[in-house]
Amino acid sequence: MNALQHKYAKDIEKVLAKYPADRKQSAVMPLLYIAQRDGGYVTKQDLVEIGEILDMSTTEVASIVGFYTLYHDQPAGTYRIQVCTDLSCALRGADEFLENLCENVGIKVGETTEDGLVTIEAVMCLAGCDKAPMFQVQSPEGIEYHENQTVESTLALIESWKQEKED
Amino acid sequence: MAEQVKENTVTLTIDGVEVAVPQGTLVVDAAKIAGQDIPVFCYHPKMEPVGMCRMCLVDIGYPVKDRNTGEAVLNEDGTPKIQFGRTLVTGCTQVVSEGMVVVGYSEKVQQARKDVLEFFLTSHPLDCPICDKGGECPLQNLTLAYGPGESRFNYDEKKKNLKHVPLGDLIFLDRERCIHCARCTRFQEEIVDDPVIGFYNRGRSLEITTWSEPGFDSYWSGNTTDICPVGALTTADFRFGARPWEMLEVASICRECPVGCNLTLNTRREAKSGGKMVVKRVMPRQNEQVNELWICDKGRFGYHYASADDRLTTPLIRKEGEFIPASWDEALSLAAEKMQAAGSRLVSVAGGQLSNEDYFHIGQLTEHLGGKAVLYSNMMGGDLTTKVGMGPGSNLADLGAGDAILVVASDLEEEAPLYWLRVKQAAERGATLIVANPRATKTDRYAAHIIRYEYGQEAAAILALSLDRIGDSDLADESFKQAAKAFAEAENAVVFFGSEGTGMAQSDALSKACANLLIATGHTGRPNNGLVGVWDKGNVQGGWDMGLQPSATLFDDLKAAKAAYVVGADLAGDNPAYKQALAQAEFVVVQELHHTATMELADVVLPAQSFMEREGTLTSGERRVQRYYPAVPPAGESKADFAITAEIAAMAGKELESVSAGLVFLGIVGKFKDYADLDYQALAEVSEQWPIIGREDLYYGGTGYANHQGLGVLLGTAAGRGEPVLIDGFDLPDTGVDGLLAVPVTRLYDQGNNLRYAAVMFPRIASSYVSLNPADAAGLGESVVVELNGFQVEVALKLDENVPQGIVVVPRSFGLPISAPTPVVVKN
Repeated sequence: MNALQHKYAKDIEKVLAKYPADRKQSAVMPLLYIAQRDGGYVTKQDLVEIGEILDMSTTEVASIVGFYTLYHDQPAGTYRIQVCTDLSCALRGADEFLENLCENVGIKVGETTEDGLVTIEAVMCLAGCDKAPMFQVQSPEGIEYHENQTVESTLALIESWKQEKED
Repeated sequence: MAEQVKENTVTLTIDGVEVAVPQGTLVVDAAKIAGQDIPVFCYHPKMEPVGMCRMCLVDIGYPVKDRNTGEAVLNEDGTPKIQFGRTLVTGCTQVVSEGMVVVGYSEKVQQARKDVLEFFLTSHPLDCPICDKGGECPLQNLTLAYGPGESRFNYDEKKKNLKHVPLGDLIFLDRERCIHCARCTRFQEEIVDDPVIGFYNRGRSLEITTWSEPGFDSYWSGNTTDICPVGALTTADFRFGARPWEMLEVASICRECPVGCNLTLNTRREAKSGGKMVVKRVMPRQNEQVNELWICDKGRFGYHYASADDRLTTPLIRKEGEFIPASWDEALSLAAEKMQAAGSRLVSVAGGQLSNEDYFHIGQLTEHLGGKAVLYSNMMGGDLTTKVGMGPGSNLADLGAGDAILVVASDLEEEAPLYWLRVKQAAERGATLIVANPRATKTDRYAAHIIRYEYGQEAAAILALSLDRIGDSDLADESFKQAAKAFAEAENAVVFFGSEGTGMAQSDALSKACANLLIATGHTGRPNNGLVGVWDKGNVQGGWDMGLQPSATLFDDLKAAKAAYVVGADLAGDNPAYKQALAQAEFVVVQELHHTATMELADVVLPAQSFMEREGTLTSGERRVQRYYPAVPPAGESKADFAITAEIAAMAGKELESVSAGLVFLGIVGKFKDYADLDYQALAEVSEQWPIIGREDLYYGGTGYANHQGLGVLLGTAAGRGEPVLIDGFDLPDTGVDGLLAVPVTRLYDQGNNLRYAAVMFPRIASSYVSLNPADAAGLGESVVVELNGFQVEVALKLDENVPQGIVVVPRSFGLPISAPTPVVVKN
């Protein structure tokens, strides 16, 4: 049993139970989500251990992380604010929203706040064009959409996270 | 004139050329057959098509049929009416159909190719003048054919990327040159099942990466550089070494294992090497019956031992403890005198990688002097393969559904990588693969039946597989019975026996048990049926065929020897027990390439030529006799092994051919029945192979070489000639021990002759170690002392759950004194 199996024994068991034993590689994506749940990203060690659990090479596991944008190989803030800046969102002011938001939070796109709470990222289409400016938040709790946003509403959201953290 | 259309054949037209091809053929392959090339990057004839690169776009039309009658609709001139599709399609994913019309030379298709190529070039550096692939690069050639003279894109926005990324010790990646065709990653996954390189990210950020430890460390890695259609992947030893057009090609045969892969040695004369002709790289040479288009890294990179700086270049004679350079005459006459005087106490030891001509002469000379000639191998059964071997007309590529393959006592990928690959592919085609081995190996992945016997029980396990004995065996569970049934009922069946955990006694019993099984189940004397020895060295079969045999008493033979004549075998380096024995021999003659541990014990040293410097023949595990050619001049005063032996013989009163290997071969032909029909010309014959490679279009099969120099000849067998075949009785060896049992296994990268002299490979060789099951390793540290056969050796300890409890796996040729299963003590 490796570290990942020790830490998330029940969760991993539950996931593996969904797939036939000779097709267990299909569990690679749920296991990657489990691995990145707490730290917000997948470590090299996680890749090795998931490979061990599923009889895959580390490289094969890594290529899944590389392909999908919701897996991360670098640490970031607890909350990743992923703002869509594609054309339709831009037409509804997403660019300006992103710029102002960054200015108010005091970081650049792709950066993390000093307290490690928030990272702001620009992403491709999230299928919420008519409700832009919009973003999704990726955090240990999962993924949450926030639509028709203003800088104020977003700052309030960040403030609520801070409160939560302090409590 | 209409050709007769065979069943399962489809006739189509490609750019006006009518061609008949088997059903299921892809359009690109059909075009190749028709001699009408369709350019490709990602497609490779050995891999499943993926249609990623879009270079093979063609216009495809189908005959129009009347919906009511189903009859073909005709044009006014009576020709069939053809309906073309709205869009171009990728020829690599399209299967041919009757009456199909493929157009590659229309304005529309040519424009599409130009467009696709322009996209490739948006982020390709076009640094052909400094690129190793320049001159044999599909992208370079197709850029000349279809590429724009000038880019429409802004140079400043060109993607710049790292140009010297070591994916492993042997393979470098240039990220800018990569066109994302995935040939390399698909090769590693689909063909050799070792997916240690893969894509990361996507779109323009896509890159080839490895996340494995230690990187791109695969026995097969070099092949990816052959099939890379650009200069993205290059080998550590050849990069920036030479331009392809400067080099000559010389045919050779690999002797690192019994497969006998066909090689092309690329040579050039260069200032850097003092104006000498040198080998710049080793490439696979196509032989679809042996190695297809592939070779393993040991074969590709191991050759550097032959050009290493420390080659022996002059005869040496030991005087007062020191080696003094001597003339050939002096050295030979001393050797001849001592060997002659030794008489029956002469022991000749011939290494497992010599040529047939060398073995023939060593046998002749030793017989003449009344001594004992020994083949340096730990395996037995080389006589059985001459009786019930595979025989003419065999090709492992023919095995598939309805056939069976038994692999016993072998970690096949470690012992003979290409056999492993061909067995894997047969299993994928539907052949029933039965793997019998005491511990798990990579071969298990494709096995229909896995038999786990205990070390020492290999012969018993195979005996039990003969149907009538099943009742007696402890192994007789349901799966075992199914395996026995599958083997017995198979249309064709082949047995590969290796040397996992066997000494000579075990190997003797095992090979006989295997031969028995084949005879009992009627799998002899026909093509694609029979016994294959996965020999512990490359030309062990040739040694047997030339009348030499291993000796179970080699240790005692050497101790008692008045003269020992050791040719191409590092006895002392492989095993300290031999070192001790050889030290007791009265006079030692060593014929060798390098300054080995064995040579340290010599009284006379005779410098031999490497395989690159001479010609000769080798006999593979399937008993294919193949010929190799000289590529570079000999190192110093070195001579071919057979020539040295002949010169000793001449001084000892025996006439042997000393100049031409071809004439020696005539002697072999005259003496050995199996070789009677052969001559050097027959070995050099070739016939057309599929896939067609090596023509001007470099994009199709990669940069491996077409075979113009010989496919070799499979020898006949006694069973094939209808002679009665009897297998001698044998005893099942007793291996019961209290405590731990050490068993020898073969590793591909061992410390033996000659790999360790190849600088590029040296870091890939493990330091001495033993493997234990974690349950047996309580209290042991990372470094342990192994007490074995009266020796104490300090080695690294590796824990491996695949090793059965009570067993210590000891690799051969790692300086540990083991040649058979032996009781052992492991302590801190």
